[in-house]
Amino acid sequence: MMPTTIPMGGLGLTLLSTCLTAGVIANAYYQKKQFYPSVVYIMKSNPSIVALYLMAFTLALLLGKLLKKIFFGTLRAAESEHLIERFFYAITETCLAFTVFRDDFSHKFVALFTVLLFLKSFHWLADYRVDYMERSPIITRLFHIRIASLLALLSTIDILLVRHAYYSTMSMGASVQLVFGFEYAILLTVAYNIGVKYICHGIDLHRENPWENKAMYLLYTELFVGLIKVMLYVVFLIIMVRIHTFPLFIIRPMYLTMKSFKKALQDTLQSRLAIHNMNTLYPDATAEELQQADNVCIICREEMIVNSGVKKLPCNHLFHALCLRSWFQRQQTCPTCRLDVLRPTPAPARPAAPAAPPQQQMPAQGAPANMVEFFQQVAEHQERARQRLAAAAASSRNLQATPAGAADQQANPAARGEALPPVPPPLPFPMMGAPFPGFLPPPFPPFPIVPPHLVQQPQQQPGPSSSGTSTSTPVTPATASTSTASSSASAVPGAAAAASPAFLPPFPGMLPPPTAPADFGPLTLEELVALEGRERRHVEARLKALSNINVLVHAALVQMTQYQQLMTRLDLEYPLPPPPPPPAATTTATQVTTSAPSTATSTATTTSTASTATTTPTVTTASTAGATDAPSASTSAAADSSQTSSVSSTPINSAVSSPSSDSDVGTPEEIRRRRLERFASGSGN
Amino acid sequence: MAGRALKRLMAEYKQLTLNPPEGIIAGPTNEENFFEWEALIMGPEGTCFECGVFPAKLVFPTDYPLSPPKMQFTCDIFHPNIYSDGRVCISILHSPGEDPMGYESSAERWSPVQSVEKILLSVISMLAEPNAESSANVDAAKLWRDNRAQFERQARRLVRSTLNLPPL
Repeated sequence: MMPTTIPMGGLGLTLLSTCLTAGVIANAYYQKKQFYPSVVYIMKSNPSIVALYLMAFTLALLLGKLLKKIFFGTLRAAESEHLIERFFYAITETCLAFTVFRDDFSHKFVALFTVLLFLKSFHWLADYRVDYMERSPIITRLFHIRIASLLALLSTIDILLVRHAYYSTMSMGASVQLVFGFEYAILLTVAYNIGVKYICHGIDLHRENPWENKAMYLLYTELFVGLIKVMLYVVFLIIMVRIHTFPLFIIRPMYLTMKSFKKALQDTLQSRLAIHNMNTLYPDATAEELQQADNVCIICREEMIVNSGVKKLPCNHLFHALCLRSWFQRQQTCPTCRLDVLRPTPAPARPAAPAAPPQQQMPAQGAPANMVEFFQQVAEHQERARQRLAAAAASSRNLQATPAGAADQQANPAARGEALPPVPPPLPFPMMGAPFPGFLPPPFPPFPIVPPHLVQQPQQQPGPSSSGTSTSTPVTPATASTSTASSSASAVPGAAAAASPAFLPPFPGMLPPPTAPADFGPLTLEELVALEGRERRHVEARLKALSNINVLVHAALVQMTQYQQLMTRLDLEYPLPPPPPPPAATTTATQVTTSAPSTATSTATTTSTASTATTTPTVTTASTAGATDAPSASTSAAADSSQTSSVSSTPINSAVSSPSSDSDVGTPEEIRRRRLERFASGSGN
Repeated sequence: MAGRALKRLMAEYKQLTLNPPEGIIAGPTNEENFFEWEALIMGPEGTCFECGVFPAKLVFPTDYPLSPPKMQFTCDIFHPNIYSDGRVCISILHSPGEDPMGYESSAERWSPVQSVEKILLSVISMLAEPNAESSANVDAAKLWRDNRAQFERQARRLVRSTLNLPPL
């Protein structure tokens, strides 16, 4: 179909159409003998008209070929490929346009559309050619002459046709000319765009150094032209809908235009951001820095000279500012090490001080939802593990149920937590810094960050362990349990308050942690949402990772502690190891300090030391070591150990079940018996 | 002064001509258009592609090196990470946004640090060690995983055909 694609077929077509036309004319002249009657005859005979159409088509093709040869020479493969593709679409759209204007269909109409198609394809070719300027090292004078004259010609034709369309629409009312006027207006913008590109490339070619702002000018031109085009399409759409019908044939080009306009807009914004960052965030590289580093810019592979706009990224990599800028329009990472250059910068970048604190609050606000989810998952897993464990230690569990029922009010909710394990508690997260002043132990104390299973762990213990304390001290069971519970109670609020801010910055050397939240009062909803967006994701991810690490570390520590305890007892107290119940004091310490999950607050530590002071020194060291860090994960350790090692699961079972701290009690039967007795007497009181 | 991309491509061409790495020959198809290159790659030693010489075509975008070039072998090739039409599927040729196989981390994607030389070296190492996890040619990947001997036979046949030798 195109002049370029029919080298052999073109010749045949030309011959055929010439012969046919000659035949038609000869026939007409032979029949009518005179000029005027022959013309009338030809116009009335359909076969003759077809032959003449073919001839006109051939002539158009030949003219197109000639013009192509004049203005472009030989087309490159990529060019003709693109051209054929777009030409095909253009023909489809033209056919669609024919259907809209079927009332106006005439010879002139077809001819006008053919002209439009040819002009369009020449615009496209000019566009490709100008783009090619950037690629080829050899730009001849002929190239410039061709492109310049072609552009002048195309824009002149466009302007003339737009004028013509305008006047004919004004004088004769809306007709097909409206479509043409609009199409040529679009083509005019295209020609303008090509012209600007050509000028920019031309200037760039004649400069010694690369022209810094070329990309920017091109981008703005594209944006501007895109805007004009979108406006034209919208106006045309409205007019067409009002006058004729919905113009189906402009949908595709309109969509493409809008898409490219959107892209241009995004590019412009990105570019502006990149330029802004470049000017404000990254320092110029100094001479020493240039000398120390390899002074070749990795992006353009050219030497970097001091004062030629060399920038240093936070990761100490050096680049040309311009190279870096064009890269940052695509991606905000260091080309060498892929450091996200935007990430660490917002804090220093924003001078506005009031913006900073609310920004830091965001993680705290955003975290709980995710944390709760995570913890609930862990809790579920934990529950399953615990149930297995409980089934294995069914006997001790039975015994526990008894004290749970008999225990006083403070122990009771905790015991209930043990009795109804599968309900994951609605976790209150006092992370917003709200302390819990008047402490009444809620069913599930507000341990700030401790996962539910970890929260439940201490709750299993108060009943038995408090009574364990009672045996080691001369106090009656009831008071003992009360005192222990209250001691744990006193530990909890302090620990909670201390732990909530302390959890987030657990490791030094990480990014600055969110500090205690201020109030969100002065912020509008939009600001909050904006703040939330990025910060929240980061912090959520970080928190997730941290709590995973936390749980793992605790599990390891607990296992270690239990192993230590076991070994200590085996070595010191039992030459022949029966199932060793760990000291109740350990349990108490564990229980108390669980309230301070990941960080050993001074409150927790002192409480634990105080409560463990009565037991043997070896055990105390072991338990304190465990108490400082480990306890919060002991159940998770139990879950693991219940499946893996019987050694570590045994102490946990007994820690949960056995109330007795007396080391001379050997068998589980003995333990049970004593416990029963103790609780019977306790409830009697 | 020519465009940025052109300058960089010229620099790379110069570099490749002056210090050609072993087993690689590459250069523009013609001097008028530096954005289409031809490359010849030697099959890595000690693999079933040993001694083979594989021609490939590299097409660079206008904004090279900000966007990666496209690489396509112009001979028949049978490899898990090369499409049957010769297009090479290798992570450093993918810009960070796209992820056709859905497995690549952005750390191994295209960045301006890469160059023609590095691409071709990566392709050579890819020839030596196919990644069957992300197969562009499923048949080849399957054969490579399940029937290594057959895969190597096929590869050797291919090597002979690239050298215009009659099949064994």
